[in-house]
Amino acid sequence: MEIKAKVKEVLVNLLRVRPEELKDDAKLYDSIGVDSTEMVEAVIALEKAFGTKLGSKEIGKFSTINDIEKVIQSKISGK
Amino acid sequence: MEKIAITGIGVVAPSGIGRRQFWANIKAGRSFVKEITRFDSSKYPAHIAGQIDDLEKYSRVSERLLKKIDTFSHMALIASELALEDAGIDIKKEDPNLVGIFLGNALGGWMYAETELRDLYIEGRQGVSPYMASAWFPAAPQGQVSIYYGIKGFSKTVVADRASSLMAIGYARKTLAKNKLSMILAGGMEAPVTPYALLCCNTYGSLSQNNSAPEKAYRPFDRKRDGFVIGEGAGIMVMESLERAKKRQGKISAIISGYATNCDGIDRINPDSSGAQLARAIKMALLEAELKPEDIDYISLDGLAVDIWDKSEVSAIKSVFGKQAQNIPASCPKSMFGNLLGASGALDLIIAILAMEHDLVPPTINLDEPDPNGLNYIRQDAKEHKIDKAMIISRGRGGINSVLVVEKA
Repeated sequence: MEIKAKVKEVLVNLLRVRPEELKDDAKLYDSIGVDSTEMVEAVIALEKAFGTKLGSKEIGKFSTINDIEKVIQSKISGK
Repeated sequence: MEKIAITGIGVVAPSGIGRRQFWANIKAGRSFVKEITRFDSSKYPAHIAGQIDDLEKYSRVSERLLKKIDTFSHMALIASELALEDAGIDIKKEDPNLVGIFLGNALGGWMYAETELRDLYIEGRQGVSPYMASAWFPAAPQGQVSIYYGIKGFSKTVVADRASSLMAIGYARKTLAKNKLSMILAGGMEAPVTPYALLCCNTYGSLSQNNSAPEKAYRPFDRKRDGFVIGEGAGIMVMESLERAKKRQGKISAIISGYATNCDGIDRINPDSSGAQLARAIKMALLEAELKPEDIDYISLDGLAVDIWDKSEVSAIKSVFGKQAQNIPASCPKSMFGNLLGASGALDLIIAILAMEHDLVPPTINLDEPDPNGLNYIRQDAKEHKIDKAMIISRGRGGINSVLVVEKA
């Protein structure tokens, strides 16, 4: 599964939002009203899903799906 | 003091969710105390309770929010919604800065906490939900209700053992009387049917161990009492000044005319066996209500079904009411659904209001042989009786006394 689809799947399952609510280039705070505690949970879930460490400074509530994809892409390719 | 009215009632209890279903079961004297089925409690000395199994059926709370909150906050959200509906208030039309929340509870949200603490020791810190910190603590329901409705006024959570919610209602009344807010959601919620909370209640040593006959277990003021039974739920009311309630043509369920609270200052667990300070609290509440003892038409009893608590409560009532104590109907309806601990006073108040509305005194069940004697105990069946003024007694561990007087509008 491509990274972006997997990120969306994790967020949909975790935050119980509808897939169509997640826009690739919208900040998570704006698209699904994610709060900082939800982001803590999301970072942990993404770390588990991709088997890589993600810093809370790299991904936050003002990140977009595209931003998250880029961060994960660089982590995975840098391994 | 400016008169403060109760104009909406929201009840979530083992006996029913919503005032109609709840009252139908209360007036019929039906017991809802059963063996605990939520988890294996068979090894606990006491493993019976008043439980709510169909909370989701009444809830409009989203799945996304549900995973962040404990059951006691969920109950508070449902009770708040029911209270606002009952009051006919559209909260979006209120000034959010002038709406407050005053809630009481004794324990906090342990189902959430226990699950996460288990994960902490099994999976390490990464196994713990980040919502843990905001889900379990006693003020969590206040926070969740405020977020849900966008409420921004002065608010408060009271933790005073079983007297918590009646105390919260007392504070809410005082705050409204000072014209600090235009309306308040007041009451309490408790969810003690969890493995650890049940363990703590068992350790307290005052739970009935009559596990083989749950419906007969909670027997306040009965010679064969052996302790109380826990229950879960929430009771939340809309409170506002009588003037405002009349202006908006709201339905006025009751007026709070007196309230008092004090401490025994004797023991960390037990009350003063003489009931002297409870008697003083009763006198103070009557004084504030400008009533004489004989003006009271119904006394809602705390009724812990523990010797020292029941005896000192009756002593206090006798010392204030004198011979009238034998005439004024008194009952402890929580014998039907369990003691909701920090939320018990709010439920008692709701029952007293419904009793006034129907001029019907709800019974104490399982009261076969009164001990101590001397009160006009209404037992087994509800009794028709005109109630214009009622008194609610709520007491907490270590000798906390709270007394509230309500009147028909």
